[in-house]
Amino acid sequence: MENAIEVSGLTKSFDGHTAVNHLSLKVKKDTIFGLLGHNGAGKSTTIDCILGTQKPDTGEVTILGCDPAANRKQLFEKVGVQFQENAFQKGLKMKEICEITHSLYKHPMNWREQLQAFGLSHREKVKVTELSGGERQKLCILLAMMGQPEVIFLDELTTGLDPLARREVWRTLEKLKETGVTIFLTSHFMDEVENLCDELLVLKNGQTLVSGTVQEVLACTGTKNMDEAFIHLIEGDVQ
Amino acid sequence: MNTFWLLYKAEIKLSFREMSSVIFGLILPAVLMALMGMFAYSNEELNLSFAAIATIGLCATGLMSLPLSLSSYREQKVLKRYKVTPISPMILLFAHVSYCFSLSISSMLMVFAVAKFGYGMNFIGSPLKFIAGYLLVMAAIHSIGLIIASLSPSEKTTGAISSALYFPMFLLSGATIPFEIMPSFLQSIVKIFPLTHGIELLKGIALNQLANLTFSLTVLILTAIVCLIISIKFFKWE
Repeated sequence: MENAIEVSGLTKSFDGHTAVNHLSLKVKKDTIFGLLGHNGAGKSTTIDCILGTQKPDTGEVTILGCDPAANRKQLFEKVGVQFQENAFQKGLKMKEICEITHSLYKHPMNWREQLQAFGLSHREKVKVTELSGGERQKLCILLAMMGQPEVIFLDELTTGLDPLARREVWRTLEKLKETGVTIFLTSHFMDEVENLCDELLVLKNGQTLVSGTVQEVLACTGTKNMDEAFIHLIEGDVQ
Repeated sequence: MNTFWLLYKAEIKLSFREMSSVIFGLILPAVLMALMGMFAYSNEELNLSFAAIATIGLCATGLMSLPLSLSSYREQKVLKRYKVTPISPMILLFAHVSYCFSLSISSMLMVFAVAKFGYGMNFIGSPLKFIAGYLLVMAAIHSIGLIIASLSPSEKTTGAISSALYFPMFLLSGATIPFEIMPSFLQSIVKIFPLTHGIELLKGIALNQLANLTFSLTVLILTAIVCLIISIKFFKWE
C-alpha cells in the first residue's frame, strides 16, 4: 500500500532543548494514524514540522509525495489541517468563516450540508467565540474538511468534548476514512486511539517509545488495553 | 480574488462589531470638524481645520487598527492557519490594509462633507493635489503602523506602543490643537512627528500655498519608504 505521509530522521530543537528527536514514521493511505504522548511530548512540534510551518533541523518529510515547504499551494488543496488553537479573527460568525474557507479551495465541499450533519445549522449566525467548546471543535473539523482533502491533520481534536460529542466526531472520521481520506491525529485519549487508529506512535520527550498497530503495542507491552499500555510505556521508561 | 473580497468585507464587518475604529476614525473627526467649524471665522480657517482634522481617520487606522489587528492575527495564529491553505496569509494582510485605507478615505470625505455642507467651506486649493497629498500621508502613517506590527512581540506591547504614538500625534501634531497657537519650543519638538509634516503639507495644499512644502514632502516620502522596507524585513508570520 502506498504511503500518504513519510517522515524520516526528523529533529527539531528550540534553544538547546530537543523537542523532537530523530522521529521516523510512515502513514499508509486510507488509514487513521495516531500520534500519542503526554502534554509537551512534542506532538504539535511534529505536526508543525510535517506541515512545514516550522523548519526541521534535520530530516525529510513528504506528504502525498511532495515536500510541504516547496509545494505549499498545490499540497494544501489536498491536505486539510485543524490546529489546537481556534485561529479565527475575533468577532467572526460561523457562516462568515465557512464562506471564507470555502473560497480558498478549487473543489470545496457543500459546507451547509455538513453543518446540518453536525447539527450546527441553527448556529450559523453565532460568533465563533460564543459557540460551545464542542460546537467550535466540530466547526474546526468541518473547516479542515472544506477542500475535500486526501489527508487531514487533526491536533487534539476531541479535547474538551463531552462523550456524546466525541462519539459523533469519531463517526465522522470513520466515514471520512471510508471515502478514502487519510487521517493523522494527535490525542491523549486512549479509548479514542483504540477505537479509531489503524496505527499509532507513542512519543515521550520527543523520542519514539513504540509504534505499530494497537495489537502490536498491546503485545509489546503485555497489557490489555491502551490505557494500561500508555501508563506502562511512560512510567516504564522512567524506571 | 473571491477570498480577498470576502476577507475585506469581513474586516469591515468586524470593525463595525468592535466599534473602536469607527468611533476614533469616523465619528470623532466628524464631531471635531463640527466643533472647529463653529470657531472658524473665515473660509481660510475652515480650510485649515479641514486639512488638519482630515488626518485623524488615517491615524486611527494606521497607528491603532493596523498594528493591533496584525499583532492579534499573529498571536491568535490566524496567519499561521492560512499558511496551511492554498492561499498566502498575505491576502489577509492586504485585506486589512485595504479596509484601513477605505476607512481613512471615508473619514476624510465625511470631514469634508461636514465642513462643506455644515459651514459652507469653499475649498481653495486643487482637490486632485489634496487627494494625492492625503494618500501620501496615509501611506507614511500606515508604514509606521506596519513597523509596530513587525517589531512588537505581542498584542499587549503593540497596544502600548500604538497608544504612545497615537495620542501625542493626535493631540500635538496640529490635528486637534492648531499648530500655530503652540509655543515655539513645542513647535520645534512636535516637528519630529511625521504627522506634523503631513498636516503642514495638507494645509499648504488646501490654501494653495505650495512654496516651502519640499521638506515636509521629503520627510513623508522617506518615512513611507524606510518604514515599509524595515517592516517587510522584520515581519514574522508567527
